[in-house]
Amino acid sequence: MRTIIHDLQEQEFAGWLGDTAQEEVTVISDSGAIRSCMGCFGCWTRTPGTCVIKRDGYDNLGELFSRSDELMIISKCMYGSYSPFVLNVLNRSLSYMLPYFVTTHGETHHRPRYKHQFKLSVHFYGSDLTEGEQHTARMLVAANGLNLYSSENNVYFHTSPQHIKEALQ
Amino acid sequence: MNIALINGSPKPNGSNSGILLSMLEPLIADGNELHPYTPNKRPLTPEEYSELCRMDVLVLAFPLYYDGIPSHLFQLLVTLEGYLKTEREREIYVYALINNGFYEGQQNHIAVEILKNWCARAGVHFGQAIGQGAGEMLGSLDKVPLGRGPLKNLGRAMYSLAESIQSRSAGESLLFSPNFPRFAWKFYSTRSFWHRTARENGLKPKDLRRRM
Repeated sequence: MRTIIHDLQEQEFAGWLGDTAQEEVTVISDSGAIRSCMGCFGCWTRTPGTCVIKRDGYDNLGELFSRSDELMIISKCMYGSYSPFVLNVLNRSLSYMLPYFVTTHGETHHRPRYKHQFKLSVHFYGSDLTEGEQHTARMLVAANGLNLYSSENNVYFHTSPQHIKEALQ
Repeated sequence: MNIALINGSPKPNGSNSGILLSMLEPLIADGNELHPYTPNKRPLTPEEYSELCRMDVLVLAFPLYYDGIPSHLFQLLVTLEGYLKTEREREIYVYALINNGFYEGQQNHIAVEILKNWCARAGVHFGQAIGQGAGEMLGSLDKVPLGRGPLKNLGRAMYSLAESIQSRSAGESLLFSPNFPRFAWKFYSTRSFWHRTARENGLKPKDLRRRM
């Protein structure tokens, strides 16, 4: 299954899936209801595996990631980071990991909750991205991939969402 | 100088970012007006965004989330960029106090780069950042004086940051681990934090590994 997280307007994203509608795809988009992570660690110590914020529809992201073969992110690149909505979704998916730590190559990371790996593909868009921002974004995705135990990471930069659509079809 | 102290933790109370700000405050209080902002409790108002444009210094304290800046604080920065572009009339310096859950403070380096990129877009000066590893330890070290024991590195960095703020100058960003062995920190975090919290919530340690 492919999971797509994007920050586009519904109308803007309509028709993107095209022929890929044959495969199983779950799309996470901005319904306007998402609440921010509260930093409570409840997804680790109160309701392990799910977020304690239940009413906005973004509480089972960790479990969704565990069923995904590919996690595709489509985001405006802002200062070398994801846009606020995409960041919010990622922040709310903390339950994908365990709270426990493991040290690998001299660095501490969280242990995985699931015996699972997905491919991480990130499509950033922006018309005036600086080299510094692109460099930062590459480092960010690499670090995310390491912490999420992704099987591979790919980062692409596009000047507009339309160019991403063309590249994907 | 007018200095804004922005607590960028998503926790409404008892945040490590709040602890770090409370350590910094006495070091920069002399001769300056300190203005606390708590977007972790409620979003800033338009008037507060305008106030930030009239500050001499912005200090952002936040935890590392997904190798970057927490989303609610990131949204604040996006909004503030817009205000700064239209309302800023003076030179503003930005400093950061970051803490991360992993042991190595070095893992804060991408958040520092994101903040530098934001400063360039917003037309403000990046001053300096300090990044404390194993930030969750801070809450249990309230009896330890800054600069002593596990807080030795933090003390050194905090004094450097305070000096940079006082002189509104740029300094080398300092990312560091606590003066505490990593194996002991891992043991402590598992037994005294995660397992204890699980029991307080009526769970057994093995429940924490639940798969959905």
